Amino acid sequence: MSCPPVLPVLEVDRLSVSYRTERGDLKALRNVSLQVPRGEIVGIVGESGCGKSTLISAMIRLLAPNAQLDSGEIRFRGEDLLSLDLESMRALRGDELAMVFQDPMTSLNPVLSIGRQMRDIQYRLKESKADKNARSMRMLEKVGIPDPQARLRDFPHQLSGGMRQRVAIAMALMMKPSLLIADEPTTALDATLEVQIIHQLKALQAEIGCSILFISHHLGVIAELCDHVVVMYAGEVVETGSVREIFHSPSHPYTRMLLACDPGGITERTKVLPIIRGFLPDLVDLPAGCVYRDRCDMATEACAEQKPELKDLDGRKVACLLTAESL
Amino acid sequence: MSKLLNVRQAHVRYPLSGHLMARLTGNHQAWVNVVRGVSLAIDKGETLAVVGESGSGKTTLVMALMGLVPLQRGEVEFESKRILQGPRGRLKPDRRRVAMMFQDPVGSLSPRMTVRAALAEPFEIHAPEVKDTGAEVARLLDLVGLPVEFADRYPHQLSGGQARRIGVARALALDPALLIADEPTAGLDVSIQGDVLNLLSGLQKRLGLGIVIITHNLNIVRHVADHMAIMYLGQFVEQGTSEDIFRHPRHPYTKALLSANPNPDPDAQSARLDLAGEVPSLLNVPSGCEFHTRCPFVQTDCQESVPVSREAAPGHIFQCHYPLKED
Repeated sequence: MSCPPVLPVLEVDRLSVSYRTERGDLKALRNVSLQVPRGEIVGIVGESGCGKSTLISAMIRLLAPNAQLDSGEIRFRGEDLLSLDLESMRALRGDELAMVFQDPMTSLNPVLSIGRQMRDIQYRLKESKADKNARSMRMLEKVGIPDPQARLRDFPHQLSGGMRQRVAIAMALMMKPSLLIADEPTTALDATLEVQIIHQLKALQAEIGCSILFISHHLGVIAELCDHVVVMYAGEVVETGSVREIFHSPSHPYTRMLLACDPGGITERTKVLPIIRGFLPDLVDLPAGCVYRDRCDMATEACAEQKPELKDLDGRKVACLLTAESL
Repeated sequence: MSKLLNVRQAHVRYPLSGHLMARLTGNHQAWVNVVRGVSLAIDKGETLAVVGESGSGKTTLVMALMGLVPLQRGEVEFESKRILQGPRGRLKPDRRRVAMMFQDPVGSLSPRMTVRAALAEPFEIHAPEVKDTGAEVARLLDLVGLPVEFADRYPHQLSGGQARRIGVARALALDPALLIADEPTAGLDVSIQGDVLNLLSGLQKRLGLGIVIITHNLNIVRHVADHMAIMYLGQFVEQGTSEDIFRHPRHPYTKALLSANPNPDPDAQSARLDLAGEVPSLLNVPSGCEFHTRCPFVQTDCQESVPVSREAAPGHIFQCHYPLKED
């Protein structure tokens, strides 16, 4: 993606965020840049502690109180979200910028009916209750909920986990946002439901024409759903490009190991599964050089001194000293 | 019988507290049958995986085996001796010989106990003759590959993978013959997931443990389990060796589960079998073959007649009128 034809919906530009802790500043995100082009699905993949959640919280301006923005911009349709006042930010959320969270039980209000919650989302529209209900019903139908009229009277606890997540998706897409941020929306669901919901999400995305930023640690889901993928490790972007390129020929050693570790990709039966040895580096006291070098099988002395920059490499971007030389 | 654990026709039911239901059915007490006639056997050094979607009854099955919920009917033999039922119908297995690892690794450790206290507790309860629990704690930490300094940590100071290892250590404290692991890799990153599974299979080889794994992650089953059983609505619809089942599943539900796993290859053309809808309610079990409401190959007689168990190969049992051909 060297020159996007139109302005991307979302552009994160050299964002750095740290948390103030007793031990010192924990640098949760360092120089993170990524783009979500209009009408496309971008996946962010990374393991616990890679900064996915901090990144999303920064986007919707819901960072923890001890977080500080060190530098960078998050531009949503050209406008820097980080400098917006809270009033304008609130106007965007749920309208142009929608979210689906991992756990639908905690993102839905347990004491309000589904119908009430779906009407509340439409508070900006000057329409009658009946019109709003009708729109809610159409939306529920689209996400594959049978008998939507009856469901409007139900409360979240009366629905199964899959149904609740469908309701959450219906609510997020109801106002036809330009960007949907989905944070591990299928992680809590069974594989059969996961597949159903991914397909539905893809169909709805095509219909509404919105962009999706999809966060997951499940490589299979990213491969199936997304156009582009951003691989994060310990608060940095280590590799980004099209899903096909990266999943077929990963360049960064971390991406390679991540793909190698996925038992879904190993078709030969093995009793010993591959793992990534070692631990995440301490983000309070970061070592010099490459963040991944302690766990990297290919690390050289140069990796301990020089910090790799995210560089263009055949249409993708990789932050590794070795791949830049060897290719 | 040389088998380590032998379960014949186990039934578990939970009381329904709704008075209306009781009035409608004319019973004073209405029940929901959660496990309905399950039989299984496992030998020393073998791993059996019980696979199914949420609500299939797999956790209830192992809870009944552990004596945590009452068994309504059925016989359970462990090490060739029948496990007797206590006053409230609960099985009373020898907890020194049967150990359990619970689903949530951090949640199953007391937040107020150090790792040392948590690991010493089994000895205090079951083996007061062991005086030097400190040495035992060190031995257990070594067994699961953690440094001795971890003994002074509290659960909140552990990562998910480390808490999992403590769970393994605690389960193995009294040198059991059978380990029951409920979703041992749920919530773990792919790079660590392999680590926990390698640890379990290594320990199994060294200690000759029988392991029952409850999971909905089929990707790992292929690698760790010798035998597998597919559970749907409280019954096993197919069981046999993992090799047989992965190569040629007979039941459409098995096939659907196997193909539902999103593949990390974006170009993979999987012959996916999509299931419609969700698991029916146990209160309203479909007639005939209970899978007919979701089966893509349903025929008219499936709605009426219940399929009997058939044997595809020795030990490979399934229940379907129209078993799948090999592809």
